[in-house]
Amino acid sequence: MNHANNTGATSSSGSGDAANQRRTSRRPKYSKFTQQELPACKPILTPKWVISVFTIIGVIFIPIGVASLLASRDVVEVVDRYDNACLPSNATNKDAKIAYIQNRDTNKNCTRKITITKDMNQPIYVYYQLDNFYQNHRRYVKSRNDQQLRDKGKANETDYCDPEKTTADGKPIVPCGLIAWSLFNDTYTFTRGSENITVNRKHISWKSDRDHKFGSDVFPSNFQNGTLIGGKTLDPNVSLSQQEDLIVWMRTAALPTFRKLWGKIERDLKANDVITINLENNYNTYEFNGKKKLVLSTASWLGGKNDFLGLAYLSVGGLCFFLALLFTLLYLIKPRKLGDPSYLSWNRNPAGR
Amino acid sequence: MSGRWDRLRIATARLGGDSSAPGSRARRSNAGSVGSVAELRPLPSRTVTLGRIQPQAPTHRTIYCNDRDANIPVGYKGNSVSTTKYNVLTFLPKGLFEQFRRVANLYFLMISILSTTPISPVHPITNVVPLSLVLLVSLIKEAFEDWKRFQNDLTINATPVEVLQGQRWEITQWKKLQVGDIVRIKQDGFFPADLLFLASTNPDGVCYIETANLDGETNLKIRKALEKTWDYMTPEKASEFKGEIQCEQPNNSLYTFTGNLILDKQTLPLSPNQLLLRGCSLRNTESIVAAVIFTGHETKVMMNSMNVPSKRSTFERKLDKLILALFSTLFTMCVIGAIGSGIFISDKYYYLALDDKYWGKIEDQFNPKNRFVVSILTMFTLITLYSTIIPISLYVSIEMIKFIQCTQFINKDLHMYHTETQTPALARTSNLNEELGQVEYVFSDKTGTLTRNLMEFFKCSIGGQIYGTGITEIEKGSAQRSGLRIEEDKKPSTTEHEKGFNFDDSRIMRGAWRNEPNPDVFVEFFRCLAVCHTVLPEGEESPEKITYQAASPDESALVTAAKNFGFFFYRRTPTTVTVRESHVEKIGKVEDVQYEILNVLEFNSTRKRQSVICRYPNGRLVLYCKGADTVIFERLSPGNQEAKSITREHLEQFGAAGLRTLCLAYRELTGELYESWNEKFVQAKSALRDRDKKLDEVAELIEKDLILIGSTAIEDKLQEGVPACIETLSQAGIKIWVLTGDKMETAINIAYACNLINNGMKQFIISSETDAIREAEDRGDPVEIARVTKEFVKQDLKRCLEEAQTYIHGVSTTKLALVIDGKCLMYALDPTLRVDLLNLSLNCSSVVCCRVSPLQKAQVTSLVRKGAKKITLSIGDGANDVSMIQAAHVGIGISGLEGMQAVMASDFAIAQFRFLTDLLLVHGRWSYIRLCKVVTYFFYKNLTFTLTQFWFTFQTGFSGQRFYDDWFQSLFNVIFTALPVIAVGLFDKDVSANLSKKYPQLYKEGINNTFFRWRVIAIWAFFALYQSIIFYYFTASASRYGHNSSGKIFGIWDVSTMTFTCVVVTVNLRLLLASNSITRWHYIGVFGSILAWFVFIFIYCGVITPYDRQENIYFVIYVLMGTFFFYLTLLLVPVVALLGDFLYQVVQRWFFPYDYQIIQEIHKDDLEHRTRFELLEGNNNLTPEEARSLELSRLPREKSKHTGFAFDSPGYESFFASQQGVYAPQRAWDVARRASMKQRPQPRR
Repeated sequence: MNHANNTGATSSSGSGDAANQRRTSRRPKYSKFTQQELPACKPILTPKWVISVFTIIGVIFIPIGVASLLASRDVVEVVDRYDNACLPSNATNKDAKIAYIQNRDTNKNCTRKITITKDMNQPIYVYYQLDNFYQNHRRYVKSRNDQQLRDKGKANETDYCDPEKTTADGKPIVPCGLIAWSLFNDTYTFTRGSENITVNRKHISWKSDRDHKFGSDVFPSNFQNGTLIGGKTLDPNVSLSQQEDLIVWMRTAALPTFRKLWGKIERDLKANDVITINLENNYNTYEFNGKKKLVLSTASWLGGKNDFLGLAYLSVGGLCFFLALLFTLLYLIKPRKLGDPSYLSWNRNPAGR
Repeated sequence: MSGRWDRLRIATARLGGDSSAPGSRARRSNAGSVGSVAELRPLPSRTVTLGRIQPQAPTHRTIYCNDRDANIPVGYKGNSVSTTKYNVLTFLPKGLFEQFRRVANLYFLMISILSTTPISPVHPITNVVPLSLVLLVSLIKEAFEDWKRFQNDLTINATPVEVLQGQRWEITQWKKLQVGDIVRIKQDGFFPADLLFLASTNPDGVCYIETANLDGETNLKIRKALEKTWDYMTPEKASEFKGEIQCEQPNNSLYTFTGNLILDKQTLPLSPNQLLLRGCSLRNTESIVAAVIFTGHETKVMMNSMNVPSKRSTFERKLDKLILALFSTLFTMCVIGAIGSGIFISDKYYYLALDDKYWGKIEDQFNPKNRFVVSILTMFTLITLYSTIIPISLYVSIEMIKFIQCTQFINKDLHMYHTETQTPALARTSNLNEELGQVEYVFSDKTGTLTRNLMEFFKCSIGGQIYGTGITEIEKGSAQRSGLRIEEDKKPSTTEHEKGFNFDDSRIMRGAWRNEPNPDVFVEFFRCLAVCHTVLPEGEESPEKITYQAASPDESALVTAAKNFGFFFYRRTPTTVTVRESHVEKIGKVEDVQYEILNVLEFNSTRKRQSVICRYPNGRLVLYCKGADTVIFERLSPGNQEAKSITREHLEQFGAAGLRTLCLAYRELTGELYESWNEKFVQAKSALRDRDKKLDEVAELIEKDLILIGSTAIEDKLQEGVPACIETLSQAGIKIWVLTGDKMETAINIAYACNLINNGMKQFIISSETDAIREAEDRGDPVEIARVTKEFVKQDLKRCLEEAQTYIHGVSTTKLALVIDGKCLMYALDPTLRVDLLNLSLNCSSVVCCRVSPLQKAQVTSLVRKGAKKITLSIGDGANDVSMIQAAHVGIGISGLEGMQAVMASDFAIAQFRFLTDLLLVHGRWSYIRLCKVVTYFFYKNLTFTLTQFWFTFQTGFSGQRFYDDWFQSLFNVIFTALPVIAVGLFDKDVSANLSKKYPQLYKEGINNTFFRWRVIAIWAFFALYQSIIFYYFTASASRYGHNSSGKIFGIWDVSTMTFTCVVVTVNLRLLLASNSITRWHYIGVFGSILAWFVFIFIYCGVITPYDRQENIYFVIYVLMGTFFFYLTLLLVPVVALLGDFLYQVVQRWFFPYDYQIIQEIHKDDLEHRTRFELLEGNNNLTPEEARSLELSRLPREKSKHTGFAFDSPGYESFFASQQGVYAPQRAWDVARRASMKQRPQPRR
């Protein structure tokens, strides 16, 4: 059989002389792997399985859905859109609106009254909501420098911050970049009757951002010094890690409509309370037709008012129940015999050549 | 040039240089004569003399034997051989170049380059990391394979050889050998280079060589040295040898060689007879001395080892289309995004700083003043962003999967291991695994593949009785189909029976025939067998030791049978035949009878019979005749009707059982009758014109009034399990064509034996053996022959086609079969007729092509491959099958027997035809299904992933902002989703191997390409779309105003990490949903990947690297995991995403089940070993289909017309002529036929 040994060895060199002398048995060794007999579980979607899977999903999902929905419904949310309401009456067209908002000298104060619809338990979160604001635009998202924000010694690191890198005379801007430059600058104060409601502006940002991303020894410099003012100016004596508005703003939103936390009201509000809001309408959303809203909201264990999860869970759970029912009926009315050979293609059309 | 020079010089130095070699003169070349070669090389610092240098004409080379310096100027290549693709220096450039020839890799290279520009939304690592990982894996594989080749080369190059140094034989390594060296090779040694044979220890200057490495033939060949060089055997003498060889330039023709040896001013011509090729080995010769002519890569064997262009599977070509579809999807997405960006961009978004009034120059990409440029540039941005749609790791994954499938599964399958020859299956290429799962046409060689080329005397019919108890494979098969259990009588198979004789019947064996009713008939029968043949006895004249040299194995089987019946033929002289007969009257009495052979009337294909006229010692004159039933029956004497009809019946039985039959008859002659006839015969024999024809006519005169003795049935022994395998394959929807060089009767007979043709089939026979064609041939005008034949073939084809149409469109389910011979095929393959041939043959369930040449085999294969666009497989064992093997999509060689040429040309090698069942139905089918799954899954996961990104683009003002972190995107393909899919590619099984074979019809799913058609891809694409929408919009909506209980808001990176987590989890779980069987590797893969993602993100979120440009992801996962939102979403999104697929699978299974799913259900509760057991138990519970076929088989059958005549003999004279070394022209069919019988006697050892 010596020539049989050559089959493999000679394929490349044409003279497999060295391998020729081996005369050991060439019988492959048995292993479950090579014989493809590894133990395996072979799930088959039998009606029993199908119906139980749907039922189980339904059983799990509907309670979760109910709980989520209840949590969401528990949340009281009061929304007030003020961008148009806080314009002077003469600012009817876009240009006038822009002229108004860009004029630094005009009085931007505005008073809004909102009525609390339901009792709100503290803490009550104050959000502002912007529409049509593309914080996720590529040019915008990258326009920041995390090194600079974190490290005092890296004030000159203004890479990626285009076009808001340096002042006209070449000094680095801290914090640089378009995100910081366009910092939201409307301010709100709340009163109930004559009573001032204090808003806690601390700890509105994620702790990890405060502690690690924004340096406690980094101070703003040359910020909003140019001719173009994008938004809020920062107190150069407060370190970046204390500038929570900035920190919140710089955690850029995923979608063009977004809310940002502005502060917390740490007291309960009762239903039918009328809250007066004194706000400074500074931020320019008129140029891009953006809406501005102020939102007061409580929070549940799940978060803010968002029925989506609850509804999704409920409808998926319901759908699964429905499917379970449907297949059960189908199973009862028109049972499909498992492994019925008459379904085999060669039995269905035996005449096929 | 200088490099080559150095190498040569080093080699010289190692061998001791020239100065020690006595008689060698240092020379230098005439610089002018060798041109630039000499100008470039440094001058050797030795005394040089001019002269004796011949210009090297390009057409021949001049070699100075035993004189290294003289050969230096020419710069022959060294003898070291390298089969590696790369070396240390070229590995990287060349290996990378090879890799970038793949479109996907090149694409990613371009994307990587693009992503270093500011246009890119992603960091270069996003594309560089996956690309480098893929390249790394590929390069490691290449390096590993090349390393193995290198090691192999090293061993070969370091093999020791004795070379003449001065007056001694010194051992050196192969690689140090140079052209012109004198070497000595000892017995069983391999030739290190192409050598000129000078002297041998054998007295007459001959040596024997084995060429198994070259052509696979194990019989020894003789080489003979020139007489002038016989003496140069001792080192002293050999050192005086100063021949000059002028020979042809290196070429790859193994069987030609021309040259001259100039020795002592005498010019001696050289022929292939003096050439010893590298790769052959010396046998039966103590040692030889030879001169090196061609070295290293210039040897003929190396020049032959061209790489056969590798085949690409049909599947991969379809895969290219899929990739193309992905590219167009990518393009569409980019165009949509680009248009959107052009529309969106506006300076009203002042926070984007797009107004050049205030901000100075704005980069082109965002400049609202030129929206067109913005669109174009965004287009490129998006291309880099969406690059993940092209599955970069797909090719490397497929390669790995296929590689493991080949090396671990196919090569190591015990079901395909042939114990007798110790041959496992061998996958020689790993490109074609899945092609095995889609084969629709199998082209098979006959001899050696279907049959063992072993003829065995199996049954006979004497005096109206059938003798012989054996059962053929086909009878077993048909009995099994009709539900009968054959009680396998183990005894005959265990008793050693002689080659050629597989007969057992107590009624006539061991002399028992004497007790049968009519013993005289038996005597005539046996004598006819013992006398009427053209066999030569060889060896000792004893029944045990004698061997018969026969022109065809049939003949020797018949003579062997006679021997076993007590009529031992042992001696032949030109005029006599001697038979040792057990005496008729009494057991034990033995008598040597010498029959005088008066005439031999040869066998040929028109006569279909062979007669011998012999004279008994007592003067009785008898003509013994054996031949086809048709011709014998015509010539029987009247009054033989009863015997005739009984014998015919027997013949039909034999024929249906796949046996080859011959009728035996005799005629008593009177002296006068014979004398008068013999005159005519002698006349005819000496005729100068039309001798053959005249001889035939004369033979007719005496071959008449015959008396029928009986008939023989020889089994053309099939390879084990062939009919069962063919039956299984045809159930699997595979059509089997037999292409053979044999004559039509033999081919049809084998087709019967293999169950390819049966009596229920409508047969179309297109044969050139018709009167019209024969007549034209007799006239001898080639143009006329061609015209007549073509016309005939054309009409025949038309007729068959029309007839076939009626069968196809008719209600009957009659199967069709086509038999066509090589000559007709030659014309039918003509472009004008090709379509008809194809139409006809595609409608036939089996096709037999006989007397075809190797080229025609390839043509037929290509006809189906190209004309019908079906996937073809060729299987063969011999050199004549090579072209067919290479022409088919998949070539299979039969290994373990003689000959390796077929194996060398093949893609897979198996030891037995029956292993095709395992190879196709198990490995092929699984590979196909697995790869379909792998590819569609890759397609799905990348599409899903990229589409989430696409939906995000709509909400970023088409700016091309990336949704995911760079590292997420780069590792998605190569880490988080790479491994589980490999587990599926290796371990997924829809049904077990046994069930795959039990239900061959499952294979049709592969033929119809059920799992990789556009519809399937569209369904995957639909669910990719669905899932991506779920991923993106569910997470985005759920987190829209989402904040945790402390009121804080998520940013973009929180949402994307959430989405990515959902994608990774879902995509991995989707794989489990797609798996038919889930092993622990699936679990490890799937849950390992998910775990890998979490481990990665935990680490990645926990560290701030100083080099990171943005720490977007910092702490994100911890923030996320601190909220209930995360867990609720993580439960919801994958469930909803998978619900769609799940529902689809449920509905599909419930209402439109695939065949395999039904089978799964039938055998749901089987354990693996129980299914095997059940298979052994067999037909207890019949499926309706089986029941139906059982009914059918019990219906009364139409009587067979096939009587199984298939005798084959090249004829008496030509056979004896070749025995005596005289050239006799071979018949057309002999040329095509594999040299199954060795015409040259083996050299005595």
